[in-house]
Amino acid sequence: MLTSYLKIAWRNLRKQKVFATVNILGMSTALCVALLLSLTAYREWTYDNFHENGNQIYQLMTEEHGSFHTKKGTSMVEPLAATLKKEVPGVVRTTRIGEVNMPVRYGANHYYLEAQMVDADFLQMFTFPLVAGNKQDALQQLNQVIITQKTAASLFKQEEPVGKTIEVNLGGKWQPLIVSAVAANVPDNSGLQFDLLTRFENAPDYVEIKGKWDAASYPLFVQLDPAVTGALFERSVIPIVHKYYVEKLTDIKKDEGTLVIKTIGLKDTHLNPDSSYYSGLNQFYPWLMVILATMIIGIACINFINLSIARAFGRSSEIGLRKSLGAMDSQLMIQFWSEAFLLCFFSFLLSIVFTVLVLPYYNRVFGHDVALSLFHNPWLLLGALTAFLTITLLAGGYPAWKVARLNIVQVLKGKLGLSKSSTMRNGLIVVQFVVAIVLISCTTIIWQQLNFIQSASLGYNAIQVISIPIDNAPSNALAAMRNSLAQLPEVQSVTGSMLNLGLGKDGSSGNWTRGFDYKGRPVSTQNIIVDYDYAKTLDLKIVAGRDFSRNYGTDSTAVVINELMAKQLGEKDPIGVELMMNDKVPLHVIGVVKDYHFESLRKKIDPLVMTMKDASSLGYIFIKVQTNNPVNALKKIQQTWRRINPLAEHDASFLDENTQRMYRHEQRFSKIFMSGALLAIIISCMGLFAIAVLVMAHRQKEIGVRKVLGASVSGIVLLLSKDFLRLVLVAVVIASPVAWYFMHRWLQGFEFRVNIHWWVFVIAGVLAICIAFVTISLQSIKAALANPVNSLNRE
Amino acid sequence: MIQLQKISKHYPVGFGKNDILKDIDLTINEGEFVSIMGPSGSGKSTLLHIMGLLEEPSEGQYLFEGERVDKMNEKKRTQLHRGSIGFVFQAYHLIDELTVYENIETPLLYKNIPSSERKSRVADVLDRFNMVAKKDLFPSQLSGGQQQLVGIARAIIGEPRVILADEPTGNLHSDQAKIIMQLFKHLNEQDKITIIQVTHSDVNATYGNRVIQIRDGHIQP
Ligand SMILES: Nc1ncnc2c1ncn2[C@@H]1O[C@H](COP(=O)(O)OP(=O)(O)OP(=O)(O)O)[C@@H](O)[C@H]1O
Ligand SMILES: [Mg+2]
Repeated sequence: MLTSYLKIAWRNLRKQKVFATVNILGMSTALCVALLLSLTAYREWTYDNFHENGNQIYQLMTEEHGSFHTKKGTSMVEPLAATLKKEVPGVVRTTRIGEVNMPVRYGANHYYLEAQMVDADFLQMFTFPLVAGNKQDALQQLNQVIITQKTAASLFKQEEPVGKTIEVNLGGKWQPLIVSAVAANVPDNSGLQFDLLTRFENAPDYVEIKGKWDAASYPLFVQLDPAVTGALFERSVIPIVHKYYVEKLTDIKKDEGTLVIKTIGLKDTHLNPDSSYYSGLNQFYPWLMVILATMIIGIACINFINLSIARAFGRSSEIGLRKSLGAMDSQLMIQFWSEAFLLCFFSFLLSIVFTVLVLPYYNRVFGHDVALSLFHNPWLLLGALTAFLTITLLAGGYPAWKVARLNIVQVLKGKLGLSKSSTMRNGLIVVQFVVAIVLISCTTIIWQQLNFIQSASLGYNAIQVISIPIDNAPSNALAAMRNSLAQLPEVQSVTGSMLNLGLGKDGSSGNWTRGFDYKGRPVSTQNIIVDYDYAKTLDLKIVAGRDFSRNYGTDSTAVVINELMAKQLGEKDPIGVELMMNDKVPLHVIGVVKDYHFESLRKKIDPLVMTMKDASSLGYIFIKVQTNNPVNALKKIQQTWRRINPLAEHDASFLDENTQRMYRHEQRFSKIFMSGALLAIIISCMGLFAIAVLVMAHRQKEIGVRKVLGASVSGIVLLLSKDFLRLVLVAVVIASPVAWYFMHRWLQGFEFRVNIHWWVFVIAGVLAICIAFVTISLQSIKAALANPVNSLNRE
Repeated sequence: MIQLQKISKHYPVGFGKNDILKDIDLTINEGEFVSIMGPSGSGKSTLLHIMGLLEEPSEGQYLFEGERVDKMNEKKRTQLHRGSIGFVFQAYHLIDELTVYENIETPLLYKNIPSSERKSRVADVLDRFNMVAKKDLFPSQLSGGQQQLVGIARAIIGEPRVILADEPTGNLHSDQAKIIMQLFKHLNEQDKITIIQVTHSDVNATYGNRVIQIRDGHIQP
């Protein structure tokens, strides 16, 4: 029996080429895309899932609430780790983690390796298995180092790594470390990445931070007893804060503020913006991908169901006949289901082929790192299988069930037209187009917003200025650069800054918020440390006073503020005003610059104070160039920098490139959205086309009669297209508010944003209608042009 | 074998109803060969459909082998379609996607008859209808009369106890019609199969042992 079903199914597929192509192609692309998207989402959600103690490990953070500001940070003070373990019940293990890009020397070769400087508990807390050496004593000594297999291979080639001595550069001095163990390579879904592990005490600034309760430095993880929750720990740590953070608390109390220590679960660090291991990925995006995947699968399924129903009615006489020959309803359903299954199965196979082919491209374009190996998870596989069977059951079984329940003779007389299913069919077509139109309008608005951000005036010169991350170069690097660059004609000015503008190639960003009293009133401001010529290099507009200048000896106690800060101070003429920012030396305002976007356009501009300090506080060099050949200038400057700092690890980049990089998630997001929208439209149209084919076939006789009676071709095309276009119109009406709502929510994430214009929806609607019309016309014109005798003679 | 008691059938038309069959009382015994005759539109096909369990009467009772049809569940009815009733449709009604061979084989598939027996029985019937050469053709490749022959072949292959045939020879040449009639007579006499046919031809009616005249939904005495 089953072979007979499959035989018929196969013949049907071959006979109904349009139907089969639309279904298989639509279904397989949809499955492929859904697979990619869900794999991506799954990967993001399962970050750091492999740690056996994962549910008991927490990263700690401080949260400081003042009357004007909230400050969160994951840099914890050095003595906290030992104190927690000693004094807080339920803390089993602790480790501080300092990440450094460490210069490493072995033999004649130099390397840059990603080092995590950790405490001895680290290996017991996290699941990073060792392939050589043992966990108990691999980090007992300060001069021990654990390297990964990959690192071992590149350092020692074939030699046995354990026991070898390598040299690492710690704070400018080369020191020997002995390899005590080899760790398995770090899985790529780990937030903690490293090439080597060494003791925390090796941190370059360890001497400075040791024992200090007021110098926040590195992230800290604790492992709690399984009986202790994060919330419980947060409560039991309050006395510790009161006992030890004395100085800090008196400061904060002045501002009527509070200071608490909070926890972030290890598995949440990947998507929690407060964590230092935050990936930068919006928590909403994985959900969005799943939603998009579901939408696209949904559209393909709708095609499938619609076409199957239309065809089942076309085959109603077969169903009736089989019933009269003794087929049970259930047998008929199995027959139709087996046809659906066959189709879905082909689609599934094809989609896997597609996925394998597309995966490298997908990873490259969207910057994801997804692998099919994720399917080793049996639950995921089971889920996919269940979804697959449900789809086939719905698509194949439902139409058969509907037809099978009908009276045999009615079915046999073939009086069941497509019209019987039209509410259902029309509803589904509307749903498809709603999805398509929502996606089109969302894409348009996202594109407008990104465009707006990219062309918005930032208030500084982003086009001509090159930024270089100083990394761990010696503190005289800036002076050396100034000297060398003086020889380059294209260089106009050079300055330094604590923080980058936008996101440089080092991928780091930050801010420093400070609060202090001004005339008995608390004020809060962001603070950056800059060097001479900062305003000049960035073309900041000075609205009052002057920039820092070498001509004045007193500029080490001078500050330049922005307009918003001036406004906050409430001074008509802020020049000369004294600020007590650190209780020691008063700083005086020498100039006011026009507000500029020193942070992303997602935020509004904050009050800003620029101060000057020694060169070691600077993190970036800014260089303004005047040239017709920016690429060449960048290259020359890059070479100069390499000469001054041979260990430089990050490249220079133009600031406009940096500001773009700040929105890379949005860009990626919009790319995914755009592709999704396009696909949704294509699949919807394929479905519409196939339905049109079936409907036209059904109405061929009517068309023939009408033509004989003298109807024109255009009249007939209109007649045939009208019904479908009405559906698309309904979809426009439903989709517009939905899209408006979603985009309104999304835009809330930007302090500077475009307005949503009504014409976006009009354009999306008109576009959808045009596409639908073209799709249908292809078929209806063909039907209208056909020789009426042909269609009348048939039957 | 077949007992119709006060069977009526009507379709709703506008606000009223259109009576097709009115108070039909009819008993057909096992082994009979009955011909139903009457003008076009008189309700012959409707009556046959009701007897074949393809349609339900609006009123009245129908007993098939003494059992009330309206009390039967789907399974029982399907069982009757598989084993007891062979139906030949007025318009051939073959499955377009299946070849001649497969069309004839289908009832056997539903009866779960083993493959080897299926083969021999289909071969047998094909032979009897002189259609061996056409067995791999699809219905669309056959003439109207040939399609009708396949329909008849399919009805008898399941060895039903009653054959209901709606103008089985409507599209056939009188020589072929004669062969079919002789086949029916043979099945009736040798295998004791009950046969009920609708026909417009007086000649065909003579093969049967009873003629029922139907007019305006009434059986003529
Ligand atoms: N679904 C239906 N709805 C309404 N009326 C119907 C329906 N099916 C059949 N009829 C009517 O029932 C009457 C009897 O039809 P039936 O097919 O039984 O006639 P017949 O005696 O077989 O005619 P013919 O010799 O032409 O085959 C006809 O007048 C027809 O119009
Ligand atoms: Mg009839």
